[in-house]
Parts: sequence; structure tokens; C-alpha cells
Amino acid sequence: MIMIKPNKYVCLFIAISFIFIFPSYSKANKENWNNILKEASGQTVYFHAWGGAKNINSYINWAAETVKKTYNITVKHVKVSDTSNVVSRILSEKNAKKNNNGAVDLVWINGENFSSMKKNNLLLNENWIIQLPNSKFLDFKNNPSLLNDFGVSTGGMEMPWGVSQLNFYYDSKYIKAPPKSALKLKKYILTNKGRFTFPQPPDFVGTSFLKQILIELIADKNVLKLKYDQSHHEKMLKPLFDWLDEVTPHLWRNGKNYPSNYLALTELVADREIDIGMAFNIAHASNAISEGKLSNTVKSYIHKGGTLANVHFLSIPYNSSNITSAKVFINFLISPEAQIKKQNKNFWGDPSVLSSRKLTPEWKEKFLNLPRGSATLSNEELDLKLEEPHPSWVKVIEDKWIKKYGSNN
Amino acid sequence: MEVNLCRQFTKALLILLALVIIIPIFFGFLGFFLPSFGYFPAIGRYDFDLSYFNSSFDLPGISKSFKLSVFTGLFSTILALFFSQVILLKLFQTNIYNYIRLIIAPLLALPHITMAVGLIFLFSPSGLIFRLISPWLTGFDRPPNLFIIPDEYGIFLILGLLLKETPFFLLLSMSALEQLPARKVFNVGRTLQHSSFSNWFLLIFPLIYKKIRLVIFIVIAFAASVIDMSLLLAPSTPSTLAIRIFQIFQTSEVNSIFIASNLALVQFCIIIALILLWIFLEKIIKQNFFYIFLIKILTRKKSLFVDSLFIIAMVLFLLSMMGVASSFLWSISENWHFPNFFPSSFSLNNILIFLYQHQSTVLTSVCISILVSFLSIILILIWVELTETINFKILYFEWVLFVPLFIPQISFLIGLQSFLVTLNFQSFLLALIVVELLYVLPYCFIILAPALREIKKEFIKVGSSLGKNRFERLVFIKIPLVSSSLLTSFGIGMIVSLSLYAPVYFIGAGRINTLTVEAVNLALSGSRQDLGLATVFQVIIPILILLIIAYLNKKLTKWRF
Repeated sequence: MIMIKPNKYVCLFIAISFIFIFPSYSKANKENWNNILKEASGQTVYFHAWGGAKNINSYINWAAETVKKTYNITVKHVKVSDTSNVVSRILSEKNAKKNNNGAVDLVWINGENFSSMKKNNLLLNENWIIQLPNSKFLDFKNNPSLLNDFGVSTGGMEMPWGVSQLNFYYDSKYIKAPPKSALKLKKYILTNKGRFTFPQPPDFVGTSFLKQILIELIADKNVLKLKYDQSHHEKMLKPLFDWLDEVTPHLWRNGKNYPSNYLALTELVADREIDIGMAFNIAHASNAISEGKLSNTVKSYIHKGGTLANVHFLSIPYNSSNITSAKVFINFLISPEAQIKKQNKNFWGDPSVLSSRKLTPEWKEKFLNLPRGSATLSNEELDLKLEEPHPSWVKVIEDKWIKKYGSNN
Repeated sequence: MEVNLCRQFTKALLILLALVIIIPIFFGFLGFFLPSFGYFPAIGRYDFDLSYFNSSFDLPGISKSFKLSVFTGLFSTILALFFSQVILLKLFQTNIYNYIRLIIAPLLALPHITMAVGLIFLFSPSGLIFRLISPWLTGFDRPPNLFIIPDEYGIFLILGLLLKETPFFLLLSMSALEQLPARKVFNVGRTLQHSSFSNWFLLIFPLIYKKIRLVIFIVIAFAASVIDMSLLLAPSTPSTLAIRIFQIFQTSEVNSIFIASNLALVQFCIIIALILLWIFLEKIIKQNFFYIFLIKILTRKKSLFVDSLFIIAMVLFLLSMMGVASSFLWSISENWHFPNFFPSSFSLNNILIFLYQHQSTVLTSVCISILVSFLSIILILIWVELTETINFKILYFEWVLFVPLFIPQISFLIGLQSFLVTLNFQSFLLALIVVELLYVLPYCFIILAPALREIKKEFIKVGSSLGKNRFERLVFIKIPLVSSSLLTSFGIGMIVSLSLYAPVYFIGAGRINTLTVEAVNLALSGSRQDLGLATVFQVIIPILILLIIAYLNKKLTKWRF
């Protein structure tokens, strides 16, 4: 009996989702949406989003100006240095029973932060993504990564915003063949002392780099899909930490100091303090070239066995002060108009989440004609994508890294 | 009878005013003190035990963090004090002395973070100094793999603090010196065959020291708990205690608030211990045998020693200027790669884009600083008036104003934020202004209050005999008389407010952004062009403030005579 109950809900959920996603069934929805638009007009949305990159900030600024003009919604970008601060803020509000009028109306999120918000019931607990008219451009049916965040089901509580994949870049003027696997990278670091580093974990990219190495070295990759269990899984981390033991003394500044985030790597590569940089945005190197930060001989690559790929999302906290206007803003951000600008290398270069099959022919054409940056890899080259490990592994890897390398110098 | 009632009323008002300051301090303190034992009723925790001390001391690398904070705090203060005295001694009887204030004014006005950025631009392995000597001297065609900026022991953090605190001590020592018969003492020393060095350190310094002792304690407390500078200049594996607290407070776990509060308490205790240690050192130095020992070392003519110290001080001064200058260069540079000493191309585009994107940030920073400074001045005027009315000998009571400067910023702010969240406080701006007031008021007070109290009674008497009431006397006689101090106080208030990082970060909660917070973000994300720009604005705004004040001062003086 007990087993059947949740299944019933799942069936119901799927059935309802299909009804809503199906484009012809939209009249009632449309009216509903018009009411939402009316209600949202004049509201202010505090959008908490990582604010470290200039091009992303300008993109958000553009989006804010556009929704101000079209919907009379004011969007204030609260520039966050680490999204876990946002989670801790909402958590402390919940603890203090501040259940409405929270400081955060909308948050840019994925992975561990999402799973921690979901676990602590900090998200708007309804399947709201299908209410948004522009969700019709997303292919939830054929692309499960849009409904799963690091293997955790989103439950319709976060809207896909963009796609990222870990990628590396180097200056082809000085390096002919970059190391395209964890083992080759180790050899490279040992022979080129002090010329490689990664952002200091728990920085998002730094931790992702550790996960990438772990995935490449672990004997059984399937284990990573499970929730971390110390008694069974601790020994599985050994290859990663053996690898780190060998390379750490040969890292930049002898592994005693690390850059604070991936943007700091760009400057280090530009000045040739280090040889290889990394980013999650596939257009990062191209952007840096067009901004005059990197030389135009810089090229990108990924590891032969593929690299970590994930979707990043937009989500609404349970105590958001302006839920309706947050939804309207999200709806705008997943419109073809906003997504094409986001994918444009001159603005952000972050790939669209829309499905080309669901777009009108005109939009399809426009997306196809977008120029790609000189250092951006093609879709075929980016084909090998690795799945994110279960979020529970993140904390373990971070803590262990901090204990071994992040606090003993 | 009526007079007595009035007196009572004024007293009550005075206490009310003091409460404006005491209440936030009290709650800020409770806000980290109680949770550090696990007591936080707002989230349903009523434990009270010592277990969080264990969690704190079990953190990996925490003892290194303790050492770093103590080491950098203590040494930067000692060195800054020492250098300020050497500079003063060298320049005391020269013409340059009259210009010192002018020379150090911009240094004082720079936020700490700007100094840190300047050091990074100069000293990092890809910085200007290495570019200057590469590749012709060093053979480096790419930056060397050196562990500097940040370095392992926090030497650069000490250097950064030193560059900021030395001018501060210099200014205070000069004010103290002007109240002393320094020249006379100096000449007495000379007749006793003292060298100028021993003369200074044995005869004059003790007199200055007495007057600036309180400020030394404030500087120790600040240096041992500084956040923004540590973020850039302290090593990161692990970092200083303040940064550790900062990081733990931000992690999204339920217990992190308790551990952060606990560490905040530990930091508070460390600072008290440091001040006690300082007092203990004072006692040792005062001992006779030590004094005799000192005299023996110092009386020998060691002008070479003093000269070299002075030269070091001058080099430091030049360094801070060069650092700032390189920020200007970075802000308009394009394609400036190692080992080029100059950018290969310049562009004003960056400035325009930055201005466009940050106009509201600049505006907010300036408006808040004006508001806070204005409020401080009003409060000080009322305070001084009230204390005068009742002729209340409460000068001892005035140390309350300085308490916020002794509590480590991060501890206090964590505590205060816990309370604000609990109270469901909505107005971030109001909270921020009150908190900034706590940090700005003491500095305004140091400048304005003595000036107000030094006004000759005769002026006031003339005023009263002309039938002016208290308020009229304040507005028409007192304020014009102290206009120069008032303006200076206002300007310093603005500058202090503009340079605050932690209060804006914590209390502003991301909704209120200022240039200093923006500069730290940019510094961490490594875009040197933008960082250079943010720094340029941080330099220009305070200097503009100083210039406007100098101009107004001149204007007002003309108008009066």
C-alpha cells in the first residue's frame, strides 16, 4: 500500500506536466498568465546571481532593462560571490521563521546548492516551470538533463537557463599538444613545474576540476551516481588524492596558494604565469580574446574521455517577496530573444537551453547563423559530456581537499 | 527647582543619546556571544555548553590562522609606530615638517583595499617590479613561480597595514607634539649629549605615547582582525582568523553560524589578550634596568641607523604612491602582458563602460557617506552641548564612543546580523546607516569635540549678553568658530564611511553595494583593468572631498573676516 502512493503521485505529475507542456492546451493558461503579468507590473525582483564576470553582469543588466520596458518590472541584480551564501541567508531566514518577504526573490543556482535548498525545503514548492508560456520551447521530454540537476530531480522547482561544460584553454603559440587526460595532465605538471593551478576549492570550478579528475581515475564510474556512503565509498576517493599528492608540490606557487576563482586564471594565463586555464562557460576563452585579455592564439580543448557538463537553473525561494514578477522575469530569460543574445559570443556565449525542433523556422535560422568565437569548440567537439556525480560527493571532496591541502601550509 | 528639572532632562537626553550607541553594541556582542555557546532561541536552540569551542579548535589549520592574525596585528602596529617616530624625528626641525600634513592627507584618505591593490600591482610575479627588471636582468620571459603576494607568513599583509597605519600614527603624533614643549625638551636632551635618536625616544616619545595610547589599542584591534586587506594579501591555505570566520559564516550549514560565532568570541579574546600583552610590554620598558639598557644602546651616535630607517620609510611612501599610480595605468590599459613595462595600447572605453555600469554604486557610496557623516556631526554637536549644559564630568563616559573600534568588525557584525534577521528587520539601508555611524562617529568626534570645547568662554558670554539663546549661540557663534574643524571632521567621516567593507557586506546584504565592496569583488576575480578603475574612483572621490573641504575652508575664512 505504502509503495503505491508515491507512484500514483508520480503518474499524476507526469500526466499533468504533459497536459501543460502540450502547446494546444493553453487557453486557460493564457488567461492565467495575463493575470500574472498584471499582478507583476510595478514589482521589484531581487535577483541573487553570481556577479564575478563582467559580460554576464552586462547581460543581466540588459535583461533587466528590457523587462522594465516591456513589463514594468524592476530587476535588481544582487551580485553574489558564492551562491552558498544565498542558501545560508535563506536558511537563516527560515530558521528565524521569516516565511515571507525574504531578501531573495530569485536565485541562479545548480548542483549542491540546489540539492541543499531542496533538502531544507527552501524552494517554492510547486511545479511552476510549466506555467511559464515560454517553457514550450524547451524539450523536457527528450532531454532529461533539463529536469535533473546533478542527478537530483528538479521537481519543476527550477527553470533551466543555460548549459555549461568544463573546458580548458591554452596559448597555441607556446604549447603544441595540451594534455588531454588526467594522466597526461599529471605528467605535464611534473615536467612543467609551477605552470598549472586550479581555483581554490570550495570554489565551484575548482571543485568541479577535482570531480573531473575523480571521474577519470575512479574504477567504477557508476558509484558516483549513488549517494556518498563513507563506509563503502571512502576508498574510491584514493586515486584522486594520490594524483593530488603527486602533483600538488609542483603546482603554481608550489600548491601553497590558489587563485580565488576561474576568472583569476585568465589573467594568469594572459601573463603566462600558468599554461592552462579552465572555465565552465564554453565561450570564456573567446570572450577573453575579444576583450583583449588573452592573445588570439589561445585555443580551447576538452579531455579525450569528455568533461563534466551540467545545466544551470533559475529558482524561486519559498519566501520570495515577489513570486509573480520573478516568474515573469524567468519567462523572459528563456524566451528565444533572450536566449539568442545569451548564446551570442559578443555578450555571454552561454549555449541556449531551447530545443531547435520547438522553435519557429525564423528563430531556428537565427540560432544557426550565430557566429562562434575563434577559441570556442564546436558542438561535435563538445559531444563527450560526463555526468555530474551525486551532490553528496561534493562536500566530501571539498572537506578532504581543504584538510589535506587547504590548511596545512 | 526649574533649573534642576532642566538638568535632569538634559541628563536623560544625554543617556538616551549614549543608548543609541550602546544598544547596537550590546546586541552585536550578545549576537555572537550567546550562539558561541549554542544558545540561539530564534532558531530553537537552547543549549548552553562549550562544545562549539571543540568544533572551532578542531578546524583544520586553525592554529596557523590564530598565529597569522596575532603576528600580523602586532608587528604591523609596532612597525608603523616605530616608522612614524623615525619620520617625525627626521623632519621635526626641518621646513618639510609644515608640509607633512599635506603630503600624508591623500595616503590617509585611501581605503585599505586600495593600498592592497597597489601592492599587488607592484609586487606580484607579473607585477611592475618584475616587469621592470625582466627579461634583461632576470632572464624571465614569463613571470617566475614565486610564492609572493600573498606570501606564506603574511609579510605583505603587514606591509599593507604598515603603509596605512604609519601616516595615521604620524598625524596623531604631530597633533600630540603640538601640545607639548617639544623643542624645549629636545634642546635639553641635546645639552645632555643625547643623540637625536635617543633624545627622541627617551624624552619626547614617552610624552607623545601617553596621548596616542588609546589609538594604538584601536589599531592593534583593527590590524589583528582586518578583513578586506586579508582577502587580498594574506595567504589562503589557511588564511587569517578573520577570513576563516568570514568563510565559515557563509557556508550553508545549520551549525556554521554557531562555529562562526564561537570563533568570533575567540577572536575577541585574542584581541583583549594582545592589548594586555601590549600593556605588559609597556611595564617592562618602564622598568629602570631596561631604561638604562636602552640609554646605553641609544646614546651612541648612530645616525647611519636612523638614516637608513628613514630611507626605508621614504621607499615605503614611494611604493604606496607607485601602487596607486599603476592602478591608474591599468584602468586605461589594453593588452598589457608580461614582461611589457607599459601597456601596448590605451583605451578610455573601459572607463566609460565602468561608469555606466557602476553609476548607481558610486552614487550610493557617496550619498551614504554624506548622510552618515552629517548625522555624526549633528550627534556630536548635541552631545557636546548637552555635556556642557550640565557641566557633567562624564568625559570618562566618552570612551563608550570608541568601543565599536575595539570589537573585531567581523565578530560584531555577525552578532548584529543574527539579531537583525531574528527581528525580521526590513530596512537594510537604515540598519547600514546606524552601523556605519558607529564606525564613523569616533573619528569625527576626535576632530570636532576638542575644537568645540576649546572655544573661549568669552565669545559665548558676549553672545549671551546680546540676548542670544543656546541654539542661536551654537549656530551663529560656535559653528562659525569651529567651521574648519567641522568641515575636516565631515570630510574624514565621509572618507571613513567610503572605505568600510565589512559593514556594507554584512548589513547591506548585497542589496546595498558600495565601491569598496565592488573593488574587493573585482580584485578576487582578477580583472586588472576593472580593478584599476575601481581603485581610481576610490582614490579620486576621497581626494575630491579633501579638495572641496580645503576650498570651502578658504572661502569661509574669507567670508568671516
